[in-house]
Amino acid sequence: MRSGKRLQKKLDKAFDGAVHAAYEDGLIRLTGTLSSWDQILKACRMAVSGDRTVHVVNDILLDGAEPLPVRVPSLSDKALDGETPDVLIIGGGISGCAIARELSRYDLSILLVDKEADFALQASGRNDGEVHVGVDLSKGSLKQKYVLLGNRMYGALCKELDVPFRRTGQVAAFTQVPLAPVIFLYVQWRRFHDGCTDARFRGKKWLEQNVPELDASARFAMVNELAGIVSPYELTIAMAENAAQNGAKLSLNTYVSGMKTEDGRITEVYTNRGTVRPDIVINAAGVFADDVAELAGDRFYSIHPRRGTDILQDVKSGHIVNKIDSIMTVNKAMLTSHTKGGGIMPTVHGNVLLGPDAVECREKEDYATYPESIRNVYEKQKRTVPKADPRDIITYFTGVRAPTFEEDFVLEWGRKCRNLYHVGGIQSPGLTSAPAFAADVAAAVAERLSETKPVVKKPDFDPYRRGIPHLRDMTPEERAAKIAENPDYGVIICRCEEISKGEILDALNSPYCPPTVDAVKKRVRPGMGRCQGGFCSPLVIQIIAEHEGIPLSDVRKSSAESVLLYGPSKGGAPHDED
Amino acid sequence: MNTQTLVCINCPRGCTMQVTQDGDTIAVTGNFCPRGEQFAHDELTCPKRTICSTVQTAFPDTPVLPCRVSAEIPKDKIFDVMNEINRIKVDRRIARGDTILANVCGLGVDIIATSDLLKPAKE
Amino acid sequence: MTKTDVLVIGGGPAGLAAAIAANDAGADVLLIEREARLGGILKQCIHDGFGMVRFGEKLSGPEYAERFMDDFAARGIAARLLTFVTELKETPDGFTATVVSRDGVDTIKTKSIVLATGCRERTAKQVSIHGTRPAGVFTAGTAQHFINLLGQMPAKRCVILGSGDIGLIMARRLTLEGAEVLGVYEVKPTPSGLTRNIHQCLHDYDIPLHLSHTVTRVFGHDRLTGVEVAEVDGRMQPIPGTEQRLDCDALILSVGLIPENELAERLHVPLDPKTKGPLCNEDLMTDVPGVFSCGNALHVNDLVDYVSESGETAGRGAAAYAKASAGKGPGAAGTTLSAGDGVLYIVPQRIHDTAKAGKTTVYFRSRDAVEKSKFLIKDSTGTVVFEKIYPFLRPPEMERLELDFSGLGLSAGTALTAVIEEVSG
Repeated sequence: MRSGKRLQKKLDKAFDGAVHAAYEDGLIRLTGTLSSWDQILKACRMAVSGDRTVHVVNDILLDGAEPLPVRVPSLSDKALDGETPDVLIIGGGISGCAIARELSRYDLSILLVDKEADFALQASGRNDGEVHVGVDLSKGSLKQKYVLLGNRMYGALCKELDVPFRRTGQVAAFTQVPLAPVIFLYVQWRRFHDGCTDARFRGKKWLEQNVPELDASARFAMVNELAGIVSPYELTIAMAENAAQNGAKLSLNTYVSGMKTEDGRITEVYTNRGTVRPDIVINAAGVFADDVAELAGDRFYSIHPRRGTDILQDVKSGHIVNKIDSIMTVNKAMLTSHTKGGGIMPTVHGNVLLGPDAVECREKEDYATYPESIRNVYEKQKRTVPKADPRDIITYFTGVRAPTFEEDFVLEWGRKCRNLYHVGGIQSPGLTSAPAFAADVAAAVAERLSETKPVVKKPDFDPYRRGIPHLRDMTPEERAAKIAENPDYGVIICRCEEISKGEILDALNSPYCPPTVDAVKKRVRPGMGRCQGGFCSPLVIQIIAEHEGIPLSDVRKSSAESVLLYGPSKGGAPHDED
Repeated sequence: MNTQTLVCINCPRGCTMQVTQDGDTIAVTGNFCPRGEQFAHDELTCPKRTICSTVQTAFPDTPVLPCRVSAEIPKDKIFDVMNEINRIKVDRRIARGDTILANVCGLGVDIIATSDLLKPAKE
Repeated sequence: MTKTDVLVIGGGPAGLAAAIAANDAGADVLLIEREARLGGILKQCIHDGFGMVRFGEKLSGPEYAERFMDDFAARGIAARLLTFVTELKETPDGFTATVVSRDGVDTIKTKSIVLATGCRERTAKQVSIHGTRPAGVFTAGTAQHFINLLGQMPAKRCVILGSGDIGLIMARRLTLEGAEVLGVYEVKPTPSGLTRNIHQCLHDYDIPLHLSHTVTRVFGHDRLTGVEVAEVDGRMQPIPGTEQRLDCDALILSVGLIPENELAERLHVPLDPKTKGPLCNEDLMTDVPGVFSCGNALHVNDLVDYVSESGETAGRGAAAYAKASAGKGPGAAGTTLSAGDGVLYIVPQRIHDTAKAGKTTVYFRSRDAVEKSKFLIKDSTGTVVFEKIYPFLRPPEMERLELDFSGLGLSAGTALTAVIEEVSG
């Protein structure tokens, strides 16, 4: 309680008595009213304690601001009504899909729901795809534990799921020669104390020979050869598909609007597609994890959204970078920041990716991009790889991270709700860590379920998922053979990425593909190239319409509301009333 | 007397012309060729335009067929003609230049096909 | 394995003209087209105004293209449709192209290549549009495809960014088809499209043109719900405080065209940063002997008549090259022609044979809109070797002239520079 008084005193001094801190069992709840989001963040950060099990819960009101509405799907039906899965997973990002796949090893009924129109549509699809090594993490955090485990799982996992993955290595270079001894010791510490076994200290000569793309200001570096790159949305989709292959039920456009709890247990979960009665609920709702926790009366942490914008360059510029590169000039701002400041790296598809930046924001669904993000990212990354050129930009996108104020993962059973498992605060290195923590979460859930019923591993679990063939990467002989098998493989629809009609149809016929332009784009890449779908989108829309047997105007970009075409230009007489 | 600036739309040169109207006399300067003078006269008396559009067809592979008016029409009749165009549904195989609708709006001008998309295949 | 003298890649107006010209010159020609029909982008350019130079008529795009397609068919020139070139390689005796189609994978051996691959549109992200990523942001060409080929409306109430010709044409098309066009916004202080299109596409339909304005943001999560427009300063940066939100359901972009030269790059054909097309000589042969370029892949044209003309030049050149089966060398004589002050670009950039009888067709664009000006060609000493006076020059309107370099008294290896100087008074 002494610390409680001390915190209150600090808050009083900083906010003139506007914020009140209350210690409840295992959490610090802040209440009051402040005039800006920055002030609220400052108060919450002030309240973070050294005890990583004690979380800050933010109940501070923003003066004059209305609560932000959540974007919800318009769909309303009873498709899930009366379902009684053993496990309900809320969230179809990397966490939820990895857990669904791990759970599908067991003979259990699994239902995964997501409010969006596809998997990996938000944070899991809007990140740089780096498979981290954990060089910036210290022993003791969940992040550190799982990033090490997860990183080492990637090779085998991506083979099983037929997803492109490459260990490119990572170079964190420094410019200040006097710091070399410090960084040398830091590398040794990470390597021998924190399990970062691949951490090495490398000098200028090594860098010149092995990372010629780096700016000349790089003097020495910490290098990790185990760092890699993956397509985060393709991996998430592959996990979802593999879970479905093994019996998990998946439901998109499904929004959890409420829960009924009795005696510290969730008994009913209300959705726009009916009421579900699960035995166990897994909360993998990303930025909304605290909101889902609240529905179950179990909100003991708060998510504060943090936006990050990444930039994608044309494959033509792909040769400018070979590893995950960054050059750092150590200063105070860097030491207190919550991101390493991004980097510049290749993608598995041969593009160059730059970013991300990190901007705190109040809105959990603020996926807009802003010109200053692009400017900042280039300003920074040009110092790392001088050949980075904004003229090579083909697109940019923003994702929203879901950190808690403690900046660690929350992976535990509910504190007040016994059949709820929280997978919260998942942000970088969440993508790397997900395969590892998913296995632990699945094991914990299976164990809990086994208290009331027998839970066995399925003998026929199939870990292998076959991806869609990439004809572009085949030899002419292999390609000719595929075309002989199915002539649609010989009809190129996307000229930039060289994607055939056959591949698009394969995507539409895959285990769980929403028949939308974006879903097809995520799975087989038409529209991912330099023309950004200018040439191929009319063709893709026609293929989808034909495949689904629907009019062209019924084909959507992504959500049900994302109308592309308003119907035939003819047939009516629009000027009759003139 | 009334002077105005007009841009000739006959060709890509797009001459900027000074057009002076004094009663029935129209004087044009700045035009590169006689078509400019004709254009200026028309603009002041009865401005005319060509319009191009598409017509609906009964053939699923060719939802619309490009068309245009066979000669210029008065500018103020553009949307009347569009209304007629919008009502048409071509259900027979026709070739480029074929008339789709004769004497549209009684203007003495036809709507003609501008593509061979629906041209009957040769034996 | 297929063999030919001249392989034409692209079946739009440039490729068709090249194939016809090469065939007329006696070469064995094969044309490869990735789409299901010949005609290229003209298939969807249903508006009129094509062919004034060549035919003295105002034809629509399909009419213009189909005249060439008829000529092409009458000659019995071989074409493969729905066929895509995946690889081009130089060999000791020519080139090989790997093509993919429903029939499988084929290798084509050819003595020369004509690249007639056209151009693509610059996208929203390439002009720094920010905000959300909803449905309803279309390039003008994509919107044109939807309306003119599929008969589908991509917008009901829209804003057009960019006053390029396709944007202006689409403003009129959308209006005729019943959509509302709130305005055309152009970041530059002058229009990008032809003056007559400003008049017949915008003024005729009371569509406002806002110069020195741009779209800064897009709103809407699912379908676009609005855009933010702002006035820009002399450096084309938005002026704070001038932002205005417009409610609309689509943003149509006409913000520039980029020659498609990905195949040229595979053959290591050097490109001109000004045209973004290959550096070429008077036969439109690139610096890689045997590889020719034409149409919008060479430089973005505003008139299809000149696209066809460049196709014919390239086609004839490719046929002659195939016949001689020996390269003339990349501007071996070394006379270069480069764009100097006031000139946005000039094509060709090399003159192989200045002594050659006959005339060389030169295309250029002025960098700025200028009144009475001199177009000058100077040699490396600064001596004017050619001069022509123009009453005015506008960047959107490409100029074409025929030059007899043999009459200029040039010594081999001269570096020529074209400049535009405004004549005062």
